[in-house]
Amino acid sequence: MKRSLIAWIAILVVCIAVPVLLGHNNYIMSLFIAALVIGGIALAWALLGNLGGMVSFGHSAFFGVGAYVSALSTMEAGVPVMAGLLLGGVGAVVASLVMLPVLRLRGPYFALAILAYAHIFKIVATEWSSVTGGSGGLSGIPAFPRMLGIDLAGKSGSYLIILAILLVFILCYQAIRKSHYGIALRAMHDSEDATRVVGVNSTLLKAMMLFVSAFMTGVVGAFNVHYIGFLEPDYAFNGVWVTLPIIAAIFGGYRTIWGPVLGALTVYLVDQLVFKNLIPSGHQLILGGLLVVMIIFSPRGLVPVLFKSGRKHASA
Amino acid sequence: MTDLILQALYSGLLQGGSYALIALGLALVFGTTKVINLAHGELVLLAAYIAYTVESGLGVNPVLAIPAALVIVCISAVIMYFLVSMVKTDRELNSLILTYGLGVILTNAILLIWSADIRSTSSAWLQDAIVVGPLYSMRSEPMFFIVSVVLMGGLWWWLSRSWYGRAVRAVAGNRDAARLMGINPRRTELVSFVIAGILASFAGVAIFSYGVIQPSLGHVLTIKAFVITVLAGIGSIPGVLVGALLLGVAEALTVTLASSALQELVGMILFLLVLFVMPNGLFGRAGRRG
Amino acid sequence: MKKLIKHIGLAALALSLHSGAVLADEFLVGEDEPLTGALARVGMGMHEGISVAVEVFNQTNGKHTVKVLTEDNESSPAKAIAAVEKLASQGVVAFTGGYGSNNIGPASDAANKLGLPYITSGGVDNGLVQRGYKTFFRINNTAGYQKAMVGVLDDMKVKSASVIYSTKEATAHLAEDVEKDLTAKGMKVGMHPFDPGISDFKPIVNKVRLRDKSDVILMVGYENDYVGILRAAKVLKPDVKAMIGVWSLATPKMAADFPDLMPKVYGTALLPYPATFKTEEGKRFYDAYKKLYKKDPDYLGQFGYVQSMILFNAIARAADKGTIKSGGIAQELAATDANTLIGRVQFTNGDNLNFVHHMGQHQGDRIQIVWPKDAATADMQYPGVPW
Repeated sequence: MKRSLIAWIAILVVCIAVPVLLGHNNYIMSLFIAALVIGGIALAWALLGNLGGMVSFGHSAFFGVGAYVSALSTMEAGVPVMAGLLLGGVGAVVASLVMLPVLRLRGPYFALAILAYAHIFKIVATEWSSVTGGSGGLSGIPAFPRMLGIDLAGKSGSYLIILAILLVFILCYQAIRKSHYGIALRAMHDSEDATRVVGVNSTLLKAMMLFVSAFMTGVVGAFNVHYIGFLEPDYAFNGVWVTLPIIAAIFGGYRTIWGPVLGALTVYLVDQLVFKNLIPSGHQLILGGLLVVMIIFSPRGLVPVLFKSGRKHASA
Repeated sequence: MTDLILQALYSGLLQGGSYALIALGLALVFGTTKVINLAHGELVLLAAYIAYTVESGLGVNPVLAIPAALVIVCISAVIMYFLVSMVKTDRELNSLILTYGLGVILTNAILLIWSADIRSTSSAWLQDAIVVGPLYSMRSEPMFFIVSVVLMGGLWWWLSRSWYGRAVRAVAGNRDAARLMGINPRRTELVSFVIAGILASFAGVAIFSYGVIQPSLGHVLTIKAFVITVLAGIGSIPGVLVGALLLGVAEALTVTLASSALQELVGMILFLLVLFVMPNGLFGRAGRRG
Repeated sequence: MKKLIKHIGLAALALSLHSGAVLADEFLVGEDEPLTGALARVGMGMHEGISVAVEVFNQTNGKHTVKVLTEDNESSPAKAIAAVEKLASQGVVAFTGGYGSNNIGPASDAANKLGLPYITSGGVDNGLVQRGYKTFFRINNTAGYQKAMVGVLDDMKVKSASVIYSTKEATAHLAEDVEKDLTAKGMKVGMHPFDPGISDFKPIVNKVRLRDKSDVILMVGYENDYVGILRAAKVLKPDVKAMIGVWSLATPKMAADFPDLMPKVYGTALLPYPATFKTEEGKRFYDAYKKLYKKDPDYLGQFGYVQSMILFNAIARAADKGTIKSGGIAQELAATDANTLIGRVQFTNGDNLNFVHHMGQHQGDRIQIVWPKDAATADMQYPGVPW
């Protein structure tokens, strides 16, 4: 207990230190914010994988839906931006409802079925131009307001928002994991049949994890859209919201809670600050190579290797 | 109106033939090793770019690039196999992510080597129109359709008659039993990857001959191949052909009767429909699905 | 030893004299460009034009020089913002570049927050010029392409057209504007949108051939779309009098890569090929481009060059007036009235409303400008199709 409290305090100190020390350097702050967006999706992706037992290749679906719902509700219905973030999450959950039939599919089928949904959403966003602005997308999306004297649309402000979002999500993740739902889910992961025999409604639990993961990704998508200010179908449902979070989560260790976010920060920052300057045209290749190497040699990711914690995992 | 629909059916069938060639490699590997090679589309694309290099470098018909494509693509397929076989835990999902990463590497490598410009064959012979009644096509299309059918027939014969072919099917059915029977499962898995490479080579040259290639195509091809594999059901070669033809015709009809903006939508919806309604695909044996 | 000291002394003297002159008047300009990712090809083309502008400006201005610092935005909005901020921290006074409204929007937003001007030729979304920014400028827009297409159709005096267009932002936008214009003139217009992923255009072209039976086919897409449509048309041979496209079509590259598909095809083009220039500046541009890149300039290079020259000249004027630190560059840009390779450029709310593109046609192994008449280098070969 004491160790985790110290860990939390240390993390909070580091998080606050970043804007204090680097807040004037817009470029670095931009990188942090972008990395944290990826981290958010990575976290949601890992949650679905660990607690729900489902690997998804289509989280861009939730990201895009969250972005569109938040953008449209703040632009058309005058909803305040912060509420828009929540609405984005809710919108993503509603979108995940149509994915429920796919829950009973196994591993790879589920992963690619979600990808199919992402493609479908993108086409819908492109065709339903009366609502979504079609392929031209939306521009002039409202930015974050001033609250408590801080300009939240500024770099440090936006950083604080996404950081807060992520910290809340991490707490939720921890809470779910520790709760009896979490125990049931982890048991289910080991053997779905055994748990069903004991009376656990595995389908309902899986559905709830899908909702949680969708909600988180939707909120992150909404955050991103207000930070950037522009949206179009290609961007909202882009493959990069699938690839980078997976690489980040695997690299950081998708079995752990902190792994995905730390992985995202490391991968993104190293890629932009180091690789990009070394190999301007090919550094995305390095990311692919990183993924391959990680899966083969350390599928649990880098974080567990670095911090050999005493935690014992029952599952492989 | 009938002319429109007839042409749509014809174009769709020809297109489906080459889809089948693209999908077959993925389906075979999936059937025998339970691994979905998400970099399969990139293998096909690699073959297409090799065809381009041969055509522009030596000035010959791209069909002559097939030997070079076979060598390079099969070697790549073997490398992929060895990487996949190094995955120890959680094989199904980890190999999925692994091949995803391989796909990213290949796509970027292709981008670096050949640049993002679009390429296609400049051979007039391949592009000349062949007119049969009210039906039009480029010469390369029916040509590669026949190649496709021949290859599939050959593969089906090989799987059912030759020793190695039957070994592949045995391993697909029950790995441990096959091993007890004296079959080396690892070697048969390697063989299926190599065959996938052969099929990908032909598919790649075909695509270059009648279509336009660019580095981003790899991912698109993989998705198409997977959709067709699911449509076909596991373990059925004729199923792949039927599934591919179905997809090709569905796309062409959608474009003709509705809007061409919906072509991609058709594939996705067909895919999901099959998953819900016929989880075993059109022809598959009952596989563990839920 | 004495010799060494003499050498060092001379060197120091030379350096101090030299540095005084150079450092004082060199201006850093930022270039935020997609050099990798989906828009890589376009970004590289623009980059070449901008580099040529640097060459030409530094040689001809005499008093001031510019240096361009380039950042790759990887075709991504978040990285475009980061690129702008990184360059700003390195001391640039303005930005040139950008492609894709979705990237230019956030990037120019960031530039505006920093008070730095941003000039581009890659953003057609009208939302970009409706933000009321005093720092955003663009030298082209959809209207210019539309006027060219409609203009050449006027000359052809056709009654009906079929528009085959990609559902991407810029192409759909242009196609819809063209449709509105043509229907207002009383023409029959058939619209055929297609998903950017399509590779077999035979079903669409067949629809045009059997149903629309139009006089001309208008293609609004990118290189791979043009190739697909033209291929399908060559096979199906619809009874049309002309095949007309927009950007990236009337280029030497297309003629070289696909010689059997290009004859008599129309596309927007600023310059004929082989390039001939009526002005001194045009010649300087061409020579510098050839020297740097050993190939003929294309439309991307031309746009990159024009926008950058306008910017550099504005910087020079502001430097002379001493207003650089007080927003002078943006003021000078707003006051621009220049005759350039793309015609007269003036900015109204940041938009160059004078912009009208030219139409070129592949004729033999050349590309001739066929519209408007006052820029034409040859008559159009009409009716005419590649088959």
